[in-house]
Amino acid sequence: MAALSKHFDTLVGALSPELYRYALGLCRNQDVAQDLVQETFLRAWRSQQTLRDIKTARAWLYTILRNEHARLYERQRPEVRDPHLLPEVPVQGYDTRTEAFALRRALDQLDEQYREPLLLQVIGGFSCKEIGRMLSLKPNTVLTRLFRARKMLRDRLDEEGREKQHGLP
Amino acid sequence: MDCLEFRRLLLQDPYRAEPELLQHESGCAECAHYAARIRQQEASLRSLLNAPAPPPELAENIRLGARMERRSGYVRRVWMSAAASLLIGISISMFMLFDQQQARGNMLLARSVIHHIEDEAGHLREPGPASPDRVRAVLARFGAELVGDLGPVRFAAECVMRKRTGVHLVLSGEQGPVTAFMMPGEHADSPIPIDSTRFHGEIIPTEWGVLAVVGERGEVIAPIATRLARSVHWPQGSRLSAQTPLAAHLARLGIHSPRTL
Ligand SMILES: [Zn+2]
Ligand SMILES: [Zn+2]
Repeated sequence: MAALSKHFDTLVGALSPELYRYALGLCRNQDVAQDLVQETFLRAWRSQQTLRDIKTARAWLYTILRNEHARLYERQRPEVRDPHLLPEVPVQGYDTRTEAFALRRALDQLDEQYREPLLLQVIGGFSCKEIGRMLSLKPNTVLTRLFRARKMLRDRLDEEGREKQHGLP
Repeated sequence: MDCLEFRRLLLQDPYRAEPELLQHESGCAECAHYAARIRQQEASLRSLLNAPAPPPELAENIRLGARMERRSGYVRRVWMSAAASLLIGISISMFMLFDQQQARGNMLLARSVIHHIEDEAGHLREPGPASPDRVRAVLARFGAELVGDLGPVRFAAECVMRKRTGVHLVLSGEQGPVTAFMMPGEHADSPIPIDSTRFHGEIIPTEWGVLAVVGERGEVIAPIATRLARSVHWPQGSRLSAQTPLAAHLARLGIHSPRTL
């Protein structure tokens, strides 16, 4: 029996919440996030023979989800990458207090290449080596992107703070 | 360690705690202040990203399919490896983009259908035939009834779909095998075209869910979809009136939709 089937129910229970959060972080839409998670487990179930070791199941599921999401944007990437087209309304289910809202907006404005490693580190708790394997990047590149991601968030929040102080919109 | 190096390491992972890092922090007031702000930002970031919870039914929906399959003791053959199928480039062209979210939802549904066919590519090679009794038995699990002739059926099974289980059929088309999925409970606002490097077809909304019909390139899908819709009767309000998307769609294709649809 393949490694996955014995543990499938457990894995679904244990991992669907974090995979949902990762999906939501990527696509920022609840319905799409649910569909992404469902499709990820469905694909995993059907192709479980390729999973040699249950210990790698978690990273494997994240990778399936990520590929699935990436393909959604193959045709639409130019539009979606433009931060001005991102919805200004907070995604339901997220904290809507002002500071959290500012952070969300800063996060939304991060380019995908910075947001993705950050999501994998913060939601998935993966090491930079693991993230590197998932994104086909060198560990050092991952570290650089994590650094730049947080730096951009900080700068953006500082900028907003200054604007508020000076009564700018 | 200088201030630059300290900040670089801190931003890579604000919760790291190497001795050299802590040592610099305790000796440099500016960096200590900076670190406090970054850790506060990190705490907000973590609570923001880790707050959302999926709807409670999500996990149960996912398990449902797997459980059904195990119970039926269905032994799967060796499918295409996941690695191989992940590498297969699929391009689904969308013609009906209402808005981005709906387009993404449609695209996911279309991809789910193609994945299902690819992951179970073995069924395309089933020689068949599946007997009408077999087809009836599969439909009966959904309370659906065979009321017409589907033509030669090569394969029929209850199968794991996205939302719940559905009917997986393989029919014979002009160009080769034609896969039909009856996906009860699934939703589409309008017909969704499916177009991959190998397959083409359509997902058609019905009152009971959606009907997906997919063949090799060049296969003419509409007559097969009509035959499927006419030959299977679904329970409980599944009788399609002329106003339903399927009937309207078939009408648009020039296919008269009879009362019995
Ligand atoms: Zn310093
Ligand atoms: Zn199937």
